[in-house]
Amino acid sequence: MRIRIHEEFCIGCRLCEIMCIVKHSRSGKILKAFREEHPRPLPRVRVEEEGYTSFALQCRHCEEAPCVENCMTGAMHREEGVVLCDEEKCVGCLMCVMSCPFGVIQRGGEKKAVSKCDLCGGKGTPPCVEYCPNEALTYE
Amino acid sequence: MSERRVRYLLVGFSVASWWAARSIQEEDVEGQVLAVSEDEELYSRPLITYALGRRIPGPAYWGDVVCNPRVTVLWGRKAVALEAEERVVHLDSGERIVFDRALIATGSVPIVPSVEGKELEGVFTFTRGKDLLQVERFLARYPVEEVLILGGGFIGLKTCEAFLDRGFRVTLVELAPCLLPAMLDTAGSKYLERALKQAGVRVITENTVASFVDRGGRLFGARLQGGEFLRADLAILAIGVRPNIEWLLDSGLSLGRGIMVDEHQETSVQGIFAAGDVAETRHYITGERTVVAIWPEAVRQGKVAGKNMAGRKVQYPGSLPLNVVEIGDVPLASCGVVNPPDDTFEVLSRSEGDRYRKFVLLDGRLVGFVLVGDIEKAGLFVHLIRERLSLHSLKDKLLDERFGLIALPAEYRKHLVQGAGVEA
Repeated sequence: MRIRIHEEFCIGCRLCEIMCIVKHSRSGKILKAFREEHPRPLPRVRVEEEGYTSFALQCRHCEEAPCVENCMTGAMHREEGVVLCDEEKCVGCLMCVMSCPFGVIQRGGEKKAVSKCDLCGGKGTPPCVEYCPNEALTYE
Repeated sequence: MSERRVRYLLVGFSVASWWAARSIQEEDVEGQVLAVSEDEELYSRPLITYALGRRIPGPAYWGDVVCNPRVTVLWGRKAVALEAEERVVHLDSGERIVFDRALIATGSVPIVPSVEGKELEGVFTFTRGKDLLQVERFLARYPVEEVLILGGGFIGLKTCEAFLDRGFRVTLVELAPCLLPAMLDTAGSKYLERALKQAGVRVITENTVASFVDRGGRLFGARLQGGEFLRADLAILAIGVRPNIEWLLDSGLSLGRGIMVDEHQETSVQGIFAAGDVAETRHYITGERTVVAIWPEAVRQGKVAGKNMAGRKVQYPGSLPLNVVEIGDVPLASCGVVNPPDDTFEVLSRSEGDRYRKFVLLDGRLVGFVLVGDIEKAGLFVHLIRERLSLHSLKDKLLDERFGLIALPAEYRKHLVQGAGVEA
């Protein structure tokens, strides 16, 4: 399974970003996530926008993932096909950021660890897809 | 003397060898691999500064390293000589290993300047796991307040970051007018210098240590070339590293700064390969002979070497220097050609407050960049360099901080995001 991007259908509403934040918040509740949890979690999907074109982009979970190969701790690893970062092991060297051809790995967390799409544990449709009002993201 | 015969021999067992072992086994499921390592156990070398900084408990590597009955590692053993034509490696234990194919991946060793007092207790180099142990032992035994780091290159800065994390007072001494001269341009290193000073580091450029001074046999300080005296309880020598090739001087291999290899990572002697910090490859952009001692190129070279060792011809496209450091809250990233040698190169740059972006182009293609402050898209720029994508009108957008995948031609970016997918 993977998240597919259909830029023709994206209206740039950024609901995917909001639902990603909620999903990765401590409470899992939209109001609490945005009003009470500090620092607010970063969205792991980002909408890129230029003129009338937009699309949501998150980790592509590359088959030969340079972020995994170039990780000097092994924090960036693969579990059942999903590329994940183990924040306990991450030292924040940022080499994964240098390695990602899509530019979708961000700095985050207090230990300067990095933050990226985790496909929401691979269980069911991720909220960024589920709440997209126009099927600009699909999970198939 | 005991003698072993193996199909594949790996001399050194760090990142280049890990990937070579994997590539060999992908191509040759029956081939026996024997690796020889000076270390006592598997660890990740660049992690020693992060372990020193206490961001992690130790320099353990948690990633996948080929581990199966067809790979044997001789730990704590050092290769002392190679007879290339005879295909024999001699170990310090007296053993002889006769091989069909070998990979030399013995990494680099620190350059130790000939400074008076460099042998004093309290003066260290910092590139291996044993250096971490020695520094930690020293810190546990003696009161240390002032740390002096000699060398403003990559290792010097990473070590500096670690001592800052631990709360020591740090002075950084660099001979060149600029820090990280191999990685940054003048403007970029000014940003770095500012970040260091904001983090509380005393930065001294265009100067070096003339002698280390002791009190009671232990380091007490350093006399600089200008005559100034600096207090220091601990000093790190970080003026650079060089390929670990001394043991190969009589081997018969062609040596330059490192072991000279061709586009298959093969040395001047057929069947013997080299990869990682010890290998002298060609620069991806300029084609000049160069040693690019960074983790990502060790991975790539190790993979290519392994494939070729097992008989599949694979070409290495050349070494692309890239690196990233973060001092305080300021990340700095660079890649490729950052100080263009002449005006056939086009330079675009913008500085705004704490942020700086510089792009170097040649014939409409990106060949290098420096990013300070916002480095999130660094990997995309590295990709553009590797792909040699012609940027045309796109280049006007490079300086825009919103530059992303969306700036690329629609068909190209759609192709890029397709990928192979994830099995769930």
